[in-house]
Amino acid sequence: MKGIVFTELLAMAEGVVGEAGVDEVLDGLALASGGAYSRVGNYPCSELLAIVSALAARTGVPAEDLQRRFGAWMHARFTQLYPGFFAAKDGPLHMLESIETEVHVEVRKLYPDAELPRFETSWQGEALRMCYVSPRPLVSFCEGLIHACGAHYGTPLRVDVTRVSDGEAVFDVSLER
Amino acid sequence: MPGETVSRARYERAVKARAEAEALLEQKSRALWEANKALREQAEALEEAVRSRTEELERARAEAEAANDAKSGFLAVISHEIRTPMNAILGMAAGLEESGLPPDQQEMAQVILSSGRVLLDLLNDVLDLSKIEAGRMEMEMRPFDLRAFAAEERALFSEMAASRGLAFSVEVMADKALVVSDPTRLRQVLSNLLSNAFKFTREGAVAVLLTVRDGQLQMRVTDSGPGVPEAHRPRLFQAFSQGDASVTRTHGGTGLGLAISRRFCRLLGGDLVYEHVPGGGACFVATVALGAAPVADRRIDRAEGFKAEQVLRARRWRVLVAEDSETNQKVLRLVLKPFDLDLRMVTDGAQAVALRKTRAFDLVLMDVNMPVMDGLVAAAAIRAWEAGTGAPRVPIMALTANVMTHQVSDYATQGIDAHVGKPFRREELVQGMARLLKCPG
Repeated sequence: MKGIVFTELLAMAEGVVGEAGVDEVLDGLALASGGAYSRVGNYPCSELLAIVSALAARTGVPAEDLQRRFGAWMHARFTQLYPGFFAAKDGPLHMLESIETEVHVEVRKLYPDAELPRFETSWQGEALRMCYVSPRPLVSFCEGLIHACGAHYGTPLRVDVTRVSDGEAVFDVSLER
Repeated sequence: MPGETVSRARYERAVKARAEAEALLEQKSRALWEANKALREQAEALEEAVRSRTEELERARAEAEAANDAKSGFLAVISHEIRTPMNAILGMAAGLEESGLPPDQQEMAQVILSSGRVLLDLLNDVLDLSKIEAGRMEMEMRPFDLRAFAAEERALFSEMAASRGLAFSVEVMADKALVVSDPTRLRQVLSNLLSNAFKFTREGAVAVLLTVRDGQLQMRVTDSGPGVPEAHRPRLFQAFSQGDASVTRTHGGTGLGLAISRRFCRLLGGDLVYEHVPGGGACFVATVALGAAPVADRRIDRAEGFKAEQVLRARRWRVLVAEDSETNQKVLRLVLKPFDLDLRMVTDGAQAVALRKTRAFDLVLMDVNMPVMDGLVAAAAIRAWEAGTGAPRVPIMALTANVMTHQVSDYATQGIDAHVGKPFRREELVQGMARLLKCPG
């Protein structure tokens, strides 16, 4: 998993539990990396999940909620880092539809070894169905990211989540009326 | 402030992350450098491949061109070699036909003669095509009388029209009769279109309309035959291509005529196209650009053929013939038999020069390719001797199977006054001889 996910997670966590809190969380986990993350490195996903669990335990916020908040945080970072992708789309549904066909295509050009989830999309009338398949259990992270996408365009979204397994879910996304 | 100090653990993590990032950066830089190097090498290899492919192509092109040149050369040589015996065959057959044979043998002689002419036409077509392809087809622009041209074509085909019961007309629409183009090639084009029209038309009419307008001559040949089916039109002007195999079976021919005709028209600044006629029948339209007509030249002699024979009969002309082939000597004797001429035959150029030094002649007929001394050297020797001794200049006519125009123009520099290609028709030879005898030197 790309280092940026870890550095961003810790940046978000600092806002919640403070620098010392983050240090304590990292020190309390037996991480292979020692909790030393750089944006350009690659680290195992299990470390991410361990950190999220530890943060949940420390804050009392459920891990799934933390994932959703982190999804929204990452979306905000993406809009800062890659504004071109967002400017080219007229609304959140088209943006979400293009994750698989445009965003991931570009990511693979830069990082041929990146392990990306799959978002297969189809239109159900005016709603967008996104079938998420990943080796990682990050369904809630995706949910947070989808909601943040709606917020970015100023159009709140209704997201119905049907979980198939830890790493598999169907999101039915439509505009909130 | 609490933010001003960091924990040891945080500091060590930051250092470790930085070291890791730097190691990664170095690794990526190295990979980038390697990739760059590989790319450069690949580009060089590609350039090398392009270079060697280009060289190969260049070599292949040169080989193909050499092969094509060899083909053209071969065709020229072969046609020359075939023309020489053809001269004898046609000449002898013509003589045989006129020798008072019993009817069945007379017919045989006619078959030999007509088949020989077909063979000669084919030979000429192949030679024309090879010359066009070699870019050596030379057009001979000269003024000629369009009405006389039309009349000759009419005469040539009127018998065929009558025998088939077809109406046949040749019309000329022109302000001036005198135009400038290559009449020999135009005749070839028109004759080809007419023989096609007659070949395919069972009943009705064949019509020719010659129009001069805006510096262009248009020759429009229409017939009431079946026309050209749409499917066959795209291949109409391709060499060795006929409508289908049945056309070859029923109508004969090689499929060269239209291909050559179109190329002639294009060489003469025009084109040859097929025009669809809604009511049926075929229509071919040939156009050529006309040259500027010289004002003074009005020497168009329609009765030249008749006058030529008169010239040859006027007296017992002394004619020296240098011709190495015994058969061709016989042909010449036969062709010239109607005229009472004093013919002296020799078999090479050296003998011709020697004889010229001892006797006076009115005309020399000189073969070009001869053993011992060829015709060109002999002609030059005769001219040198005449200049040295002040003897009168005897007209020399070359008889040759070399028919390239540029070869003919070479002859003029060798002191040769005129040229008749083999196999020759009697009228051609007689007219050529008469011209030289009328205006010696």
